[in-house]
Amino acid sequence: MGTNQPFVIYPARRVITINPAFPFGEAVAVAGNRILGVGTTDELASWGEHRIDDCFANHVIMPGFIEAHCHVMSGGLWNSTYVGYFDRRDPQGLLWPGCTSIDDVLERLAKAAADMSDDSQTLLAWGLDPIYFPGERLVARHLDTVTGDRPTLILHASGHLATINSALMERCGIDETATSPGVARGGDGLPNGELHEPAGMMLAGEAFADMMKANRSEQARWRYANEARNAGHTLLTDLGTTQLWDPEQLGNWKKVTSGPAYPARVMVAMSNLFGATADPAELAELCVKLKSEQTDKLRFGIVKLILDGSIQGFTARISWPHYYKPPPGHIGNGMWLTAPDQMADLVEPYHRAGLTVHCHCNGDEATEAFVEAVEQVLERYPRWDHRHTVQHCQLTTPDQYRRMAALGMCANIFSNHIYYWGDQHRDVTVGPERAARMDACGTALASGVSFSIHSDSPITPLGHLHTAWCAVNRVTASGQVLGPDERIGVPDALRAITIEAARQIKMDAEIGSIEAGKLADFAVLEDNPLTVDPMALRDIGVWGTVLGGVLQPAQISDA
Amino acid sequence: MNAHTIAVTVVGGYLGAGKTTLVNHVLRSTDERIAVIVNDFGEISIDEDLIVAADSDKLTLANGCICCTLADGFAAALMQIRSAGTLPQRLLIEASGVADPAQIAAYGHTPGLRLDAVVVMADAEQVRRQANDRWVADTVRMQLAAADLLVVNKIDLLDDADKADELCDWLAGLSTGATIVRASRAAVPIDVLLGPRSASDAVDTHERPAPERAAAPGWHVVADLFESQTVVLDAPVPKPVIEALLADLPDGVARLKGLVQAAPAAGASDTTATEAADATAYLIEAVGKRTSMTPYATDPTQPPPRWAISLISHKGSLAPDWLESRLHERN
Repeated sequence: MGTNQPFVIYPARRVITINPAFPFGEAVAVAGNRILGVGTTDELASWGEHRIDDCFANHVIMPGFIEAHCHVMSGGLWNSTYVGYFDRRDPQGLLWPGCTSIDDVLERLAKAAADMSDDSQTLLAWGLDPIYFPGERLVARHLDTVTGDRPTLILHASGHLATINSALMERCGIDETATSPGVARGGDGLPNGELHEPAGMMLAGEAFADMMKANRSEQARWRYANEARNAGHTLLTDLGTTQLWDPEQLGNWKKVTSGPAYPARVMVAMSNLFGATADPAELAELCVKLKSEQTDKLRFGIVKLILDGSIQGFTARISWPHYYKPPPGHIGNGMWLTAPDQMADLVEPYHRAGLTVHCHCNGDEATEAFVEAVEQVLERYPRWDHRHTVQHCQLTTPDQYRRMAALGMCANIFSNHIYYWGDQHRDVTVGPERAARMDACGTALASGVSFSIHSDSPITPLGHLHTAWCAVNRVTASGQVLGPDERIGVPDALRAITIEAARQIKMDAEIGSIEAGKLADFAVLEDNPLTVDPMALRDIGVWGTVLGGVLQPAQISDA
Repeated sequence: MNAHTIAVTVVGGYLGAGKTTLVNHVLRSTDERIAVIVNDFGEISIDEDLIVAADSDKLTLANGCICCTLADGFAAALMQIRSAGTLPQRLLIEASGVADPAQIAAYGHTPGLRLDAVVVMADAEQVRRQANDRWVADTVRMQLAAADLLVVNKIDLLDDADKADELCDWLAGLSTGATIVRASRAAVPIDVLLGPRSASDAVDTHERPAPERAAAPGWHVVADLFESQTVVLDAPVPKPVIEALLADLPDGVARLKGLVQAAPAAGASDTTATEAADATAYLIEAVGKRTSMTPYATDPTQPPPRWAISLISHKGSLAPDWLESRLHERN
């Protein structure tokens, strides 16, 4: 036999392999950190000396879920109090019910303030999304009623705004003499506590800086992976939030992933954002070097670029007829974060270094610019199997999908948007027709483009069962189906969250399906996603994961 | 807020318009201590002969200027600048080629800073094409509209003066009242870029000797396109007169800067000691459509500053005594 070590057989209610050549099994055998085989218990026992562990006898085993687009700050933000609109589970497994009214937000803050012992400590919160409170705007004077003299800052879900209370305004010298356009004013002409964009938010001084600094810590990295484990994920892609040339941030990644206890693999993308250098050739070289030093749990080799903003922020680049009902004063289209005619030169060094380029493209104009850049680079330097990926890919058109297929490009589609902002996209941002065909998994599938789906956590909560549910049902928060013709079947959604995600980060030889020789990374589920009502997909319980053969039970504390 | 703040100049404009050339030009041509903030070092190339020390996140220049990046955000860059020793007199922020300079200008309202001007560079040969490009037309037009000072760079690449005139007229239509300056190799007269020297002498209490510096070869400073005039004020000026001056500047004015004592109300032209005591000191500035009156805190332990207003105008556009008479006709 190929193994001389004793191995463990895990009989299960069902093993869903995501390997079309051997789709199901009754049990899976694990030798060390790898899969020895899948099949019946008897077949697996015939390999030799083994132990049978019945702990998953009533569970369904799938390949561990792979998130190809999220950010490490989803660990760091839990240092602050969650006040978002939707229910969200923290990395300790505690459920934070959504704050669905301004009063809910205030009540949450009042409790958080009461729990703080040091009176001078700043109360930090996150996740506020005023788009769900269309009537009254939450401002400083509301906060003051529950926070008193304690400085308080709420970072909005968009990351582009913050709301602070009067105590923090006073501490930071924000008063009627403020001249910054980043300081919003109420009907009375006085600053109302809302700070816009980095230029405004930085006026909150250390309170804002502290929130950002938390993302660099070891603790943030642990929480990031704990949350992943609780949702059945075994690999997270930190897509462009780590400054890899910073020894502290890289060192913290190395440190946390070095032991068997850390419950996830992490693919850390190289990024030119916030760069100490923008020379892509240098960053490509660093990425290649890191790749040569990578471990089982800490991976490198992909690069994040960014072209445009967000649709709900009206900053994504959308081709004519642009936005449907933009706010008054909007300039008509979104903004470029990278000059489109610079893209080919930017992609080229990474492409030549053998790396995979993942580019943020929310609007179709951004997709167009990226696809065109990849075309140009391929003409200059032909290369097969590059797997350059359009990230978010929200408004990508059918013709663009056809070109992507021809070029060997992949898509990572932001399916969670359908649920969280689908109603707003239909009614406000892009209008009914384009909302119905956004996040077009159906078109991607029909065009032969390899695609995954993602949460962009912390933008929306991490959890591939929910993300798959979005792609399968396309149901919005208000309960309406948005674009039924772009729905995909559960089997395709399950591929998207496993093997296809592995493929676009070039790890599909190691993970993404349950096959002999691959790493023993499993999502252990309480029910079978292929047999439950598709509308119940997101409600399936998650026991936890197995990561490289190590059992990682989820932490769920329903107090 | 008072005028003892760091002036902020934002340099914007599309890729290739000459932003970096302009930054290098400023670093060579001024005696001010300048801190340059760029998106990242990859986008800027400070002329090597200006650099005396380089680490990963900061360049130190021969004339005491420094250059840092937005790697960790503006707040971090500002902290780095403040901790680097003597405070700079000016921050020069180079925006990325696709940024909206107006958004970058918002940083100029950070406490301790004072937005001086948004300078937008336009490539004389390319700007029309860019302003009609399928993808960046709106970006380029937004940048042009954000300018207080619109520099039509590489003007020497145009065939003739008529084309230059026509281009400038067309740009004027896209701008919102910017002062339009023509230049080659970004060589805009430094007083036009940063404000008249005679007035800044008065404002700057941390004067230092100008370092010896060779002009970069081949730079053609088009200083003969402008002229300046200065009025020294020996008495407070009624505040409405100053307000009227700023509110109604003729098109020919490229820059105005002054340190004035504003008397509470217009009235008798004879100035009494009481009136001087009641007067409030202001730093007044104008560039393009942007005008400001910033309260100025005088230091009682120091000799009083020099009260004066200077302006720079396009040659031949104003009578040499325009400012003098303007101040008197309303007085």
